[in-house]
Amino acid sequence: MKNFFKSIGNYFKEFATAIAKGDIGVKLSLVIMGAGYAARKQIINGIIMTLLEAVFVVMCVFYAAPNLAKFGTLGTVQFEQKFDPLTMTSTVNDYDNSFLILLNSIIALFIILAFILVYIGNIKTVYRLQLRKEAGKHINTFAEDVKSLFNQKFNITLLTLPCLGIILMNIIPILVLIAVAFTNYDQQHMPPNALFTWVGFKNFKQLFTNSTTVTFGYAFGKVLVWTLVWAFFATFTTFIGGILMAQFVNSKNTKLPKLWRTLFMVAIAVPQFVTLLLVRNFFGDSGIVNTICSNIGLTDFLKSIGLVGSHLTYIPFLTNPNWTKVMIILINIWVGVPYQMLIATGVLMNIPVDQLESARIDGANKFQIFWKITMPYILFIMGPSLITDFVKNINNFNVIYLLTQDVYVTSDQLLANSNAKEVDLLVTWLFRLTNEYYNYKIASVIGILVFIICAAFTLVTFTQMIKGNREEDFQ
Amino acid sequence: MKKTVDFIIRHAVLLILAVIWLIPIVWLVVTSFSGYRGINTSHFFPETWSLNNYRALFLEPDSVVQYSAWFKNTFIIAIFTCIISTIFVLMVSYTMSCMRFKGRKALMSFGIILNMFPGVLSMIAVYFVMKSIGLTNSHLGMIIVYSAASGLGYLITKGFMDTISVSLREAARLEGASEATIFMRIIIPLSKPIIVYTVINSFLVPWGDFVLAKLMLNSGISTDWTIAIGLYNMLNKSLVNKYFSIFCAGGVIVSIPISILFVLMQKFYVEGVTGGSVKG
Amino acid sequence: MKKKVLATLLATSMVAATLAGCGNSGSEAGGDTSAPAADNSADTAADTQTEAPADASGDSAAADSTASDDAVATLIANTTGPVALTVWASEEDQELTTTLLDNFKAQYSDVEFDITLGSESESTAKDTILTDVEAAADVFAFADDQINELVKAGALQEVVADYTYDVAGENVAGSVEAASIDGKLYAYPMTADNGYFMFYDASVFTEDDVQSLEKMIEVAKAADKKIAMDIANGWYLYSFFQGAGYELSLNEDGSNTCTWNADGATDVAQAIMDACETGVLVQMTDEQQATAIAEGTVAAAVNGTWRAETAEEAWGENYAAAKLPTINVGGKDCQMSSYSGCKLIGVNPHSANVGWAMLLAEYLTNEESQVARFEARGLGPSNIAASESEAVQANPAIAALGEQAAYATPQRVGNNFWAPAETLGQILASGNPDGTDLQTLLDTAVEGITAPVE
Repeated sequence: MKNFFKSIGNYFKEFATAIAKGDIGVKLSLVIMGAGYAARKQIINGIIMTLLEAVFVVMCVFYAAPNLAKFGTLGTVQFEQKFDPLTMTSTVNDYDNSFLILLNSIIALFIILAFILVYIGNIKTVYRLQLRKEAGKHINTFAEDVKSLFNQKFNITLLTLPCLGIILMNIIPILVLIAVAFTNYDQQHMPPNALFTWVGFKNFKQLFTNSTTVTFGYAFGKVLVWTLVWAFFATFTTFIGGILMAQFVNSKNTKLPKLWRTLFMVAIAVPQFVTLLLVRNFFGDSGIVNTICSNIGLTDFLKSIGLVGSHLTYIPFLTNPNWTKVMIILINIWVGVPYQMLIATGVLMNIPVDQLESARIDGANKFQIFWKITMPYILFIMGPSLITDFVKNINNFNVIYLLTQDVYVTSDQLLANSNAKEVDLLVTWLFRLTNEYYNYKIASVIGILVFIICAAFTLVTFTQMIKGNREEDFQ
Repeated sequence: MKKTVDFIIRHAVLLILAVIWLIPIVWLVVTSFSGYRGINTSHFFPETWSLNNYRALFLEPDSVVQYSAWFKNTFIIAIFTCIISTIFVLMVSYTMSCMRFKGRKALMSFGIILNMFPGVLSMIAVYFVMKSIGLTNSHLGMIIVYSAASGLGYLITKGFMDTISVSLREAARLEGASEATIFMRIIIPLSKPIIVYTVINSFLVPWGDFVLAKLMLNSGISTDWTIAIGLYNMLNKSLVNKYFSIFCAGGVIVSIPISILFVLMQKFYVEGVTGGSVKG
Repeated sequence: MKKKVLATLLATSMVAATLAGCGNSGSEAGGDTSAPAADNSADTAADTQTEAPADASGDSAAADSTASDDAVATLIANTTGPVALTVWASEEDQELTTTLLDNFKAQYSDVEFDITLGSESESTAKDTILTDVEAAADVFAFADDQINELVKAGALQEVVADYTYDVAGENVAGSVEAASIDGKLYAYPMTADNGYFMFYDASVFTEDDVQSLEKMIEVAKAADKKIAMDIANGWYLYSFFQGAGYELSLNEDGSNTCTWNADGATDVAQAIMDACETGVLVQMTDEQQATAIAEGTVAAAVNGTWRAETAEEAWGENYAAAKLPTINVGGKDCQMSSYSGCKLIGVNPHSANVGWAMLLAEYLTNEESQVARFEARGLGPSNIAASESEAVQANPAIAALGEQAAYATPQRVGNNFWAPAETLGQILASGNPDGTDLQTLLDTAVEGITAPVE
């Protein structure tokens, strides 16, 4: 943390020295960015920088300024349209679209921030050029500069496009939605017809207060608990299942291991949404499994031991809260184990053979070898990916949504009043809030909380990983 | 004697597991040959067999079934997504794994954290970003949406590259090779398994995504759709009873190219994914 | 064909007139049925319309006919270049719509059109439209239950004038009411058959049996058949409570008023539970019903015209349809109510060619097109003349809807209704497994339904 502030301090200190000690070329760069380069005869660099500056100024005037001016209110002019029955045409006023104002403002702020960084960097660079000149050192030609982009500065070349993509498709949308959590963007305030505006922390308060009519707090607690339970079981069942299956299939005593492996892999090859939608109908209340179960008397048996309600004529695989939760985890095993088996197969191939041999000589039996040597090894190797899987499962939209959407009806009235269901994960709940109820404000708050939960989990594990500088150990 | 018992039990268990894993798939296949178009709930195997579903899929396109068009769209989107994503991932992984520069670790952590934000929420903002540059309802837009942020998925590939011996790079550098040359000539050829892994994974994205695709391709013109939207749409309440078996046939057909891809690449895939995940 | 332009004011009072008319007939015929929600909202407008007789439109028609011709002529004259329009119709409607679009183009052959036809199910049109109104089609079909949200989101162009036929006058009053909010017409009625009724297998039930639910259960039990209804769905659950006289209506601000927890309402809940307890009345979603009917386990179902085809196929000559039965609530037989439903065509106010979009919407809903739609797909016309034809009258499903119409109300309910009602239905259909006190159950549901919206 201390280093962080120190480096920020240095950053500005260098900037200040550059301005203070710079010659006329550097000082002129404060106004015309290319001036410093021109002074050192780097004409092309100079032109590029000046052009960049010009483009930025134009952007500010025509794009950033009009949007940022309305950023404080998110627009004041409501949409109005007048239809003239005689000419059969309509006229629309020059209205404000709150969402676009928000989006464009954030993009504009981003560009401005990026420009400031470039601007400061520019001054420092031209100052460095000045120092080099004074020291009589070689100053790069344009061709040499370009060449360095493929050598010492290759990282810049490589990262530019991917970073642009990430900023545009990932960072900006995330910032917009974080901002939405502080507005009243919902179905009553939907652009273009209506405006929305800032409301501060009201939505957060709503999520954490309970009243008889607003049950978001209650629903959030319930959904969060199930999300964590689900993520835990989904991760560990598939993990252990995958290892056991890999052990089993790859054992020396198994004939045709390749054939078996391929059989299980068929389940991966069919796209997940196809299998899940299929399985949903397979286990439907009047689906084929229920027909078979009732034919062979399983339904009646389950009724007699009380696992199925007495008034039902079917097994509520995907309609009763407890049955559904169990079924979802089982179906997830079905979906996830072959994949984990594939990974575990690779890991098991690399297991140190000498350790296994010596254990065998010492007289350990198969199970002892498995629990004392194989498992610790696998856990050591796959630990980090276990954590990523856990986070992925917290956000596992497909399995839950495809299995329960349109099929599952909650029987908890308080959950229903917040449009949640017992089997919802936080992500599926927020998806339904946006997609069916247009309640973007609450969904954004939930999104931020999901983010914090996941980030906390990962940060703890990954800082451990990066801190130890373990990456060099393997090279 | 004990060995035979062990052998039989072992293979019996495997057989049972294989049956469990295959039952839904078998149901998918047999239903796709069903003469009845709705969901058959009383019999596992269809009562009448026919090829009509496949014929409907390819030869009798209507507004609900435009399979050939979807297949083509998805294929084009998948090809370009896969090329761009793979290049992006390799670029980011190489920088993070093989180069040392200021802020590298900060960038890496930042990338990991970014991945934590639930994507379904920011979708609506992605939609409006694309709309403001006029790329909704276009396949180019879909390619951008699927591949632009792919650089974030660098972690496994980077882990794989970490395992490539550093002495190789140093030797090359001593001989005067630039970073670009090392990247192209040394690291990429050695990363074949992880490249296959990335290619398969990014190729599969457009085949399985229906949420984002449905949002972006919202003109209602079914010939513009991808397979996932089309098949998902068939299970719409008002359509499911007429199109369920066609949905199954569609599901079978999509699985064919993916299965071939898997079988062909299985070896590399295992090497790639384990190489990467092992070293995190 | 009558052509005229109605001034906004006149159109408003017209609608109010039809609203009031419908409300009266509804409450008279319904007996203990409480008056439809729309009555309240039309109060003020109804006062002003008393001296404006309904035939006022007829008088002004002649005078206005030239004006409307002028407007269309001006529009044609002002149109340069191709007119680009997007139309959304349901998957099942594609073929017919293509033909109608060709006819429309032929009718205005002076103008070049570039019309794209997309498919969007009427029942889910709202979801796609509300996500981005500006990207939605210029002309789209939707079910009338979505009109409230669509108007609120500014996704519907008010029908301030009509040009080729009298939209409010030529369609049945119920459909015009369904297409209006606060007395303003926002869409063009296309069909009047989107409500629900009951169809049954006449080899199991006689015409007398289907008068009361209790009798039906008795008969079905003897025949080992089931009666299907999607009780865990607010849309159908409404029929019980409304039938017994408990109120559900939409407030100005989008929240609901609901008296389902009033005194005696527990009897309704008990009646539903008792009926389900027999194992004869079963909770089934629409898709499940389709399969169950085809397989012959279900002999009667509460559903709509969209499922009629399945039933007709399964039961053949024995296919019959009727109004919903009565249900015994606390010792009194109550006629089950229902939501009447229409399919409407709306025009997007964000359209670049609103004028043409309106003309197209008029064309797609005029008498000729409605007749064509009935002939092609058996959909019940909302057009008065078309619905009076013999062929339409002979259709059992449409006849049953007509019978049920006396007890039906248009759907005016806020979004907060659905989730709590769904859950309430689910709990009742599964026999209240937790044994919650019925009054508490209803209280909680009503709290959710009437939750304020901000």
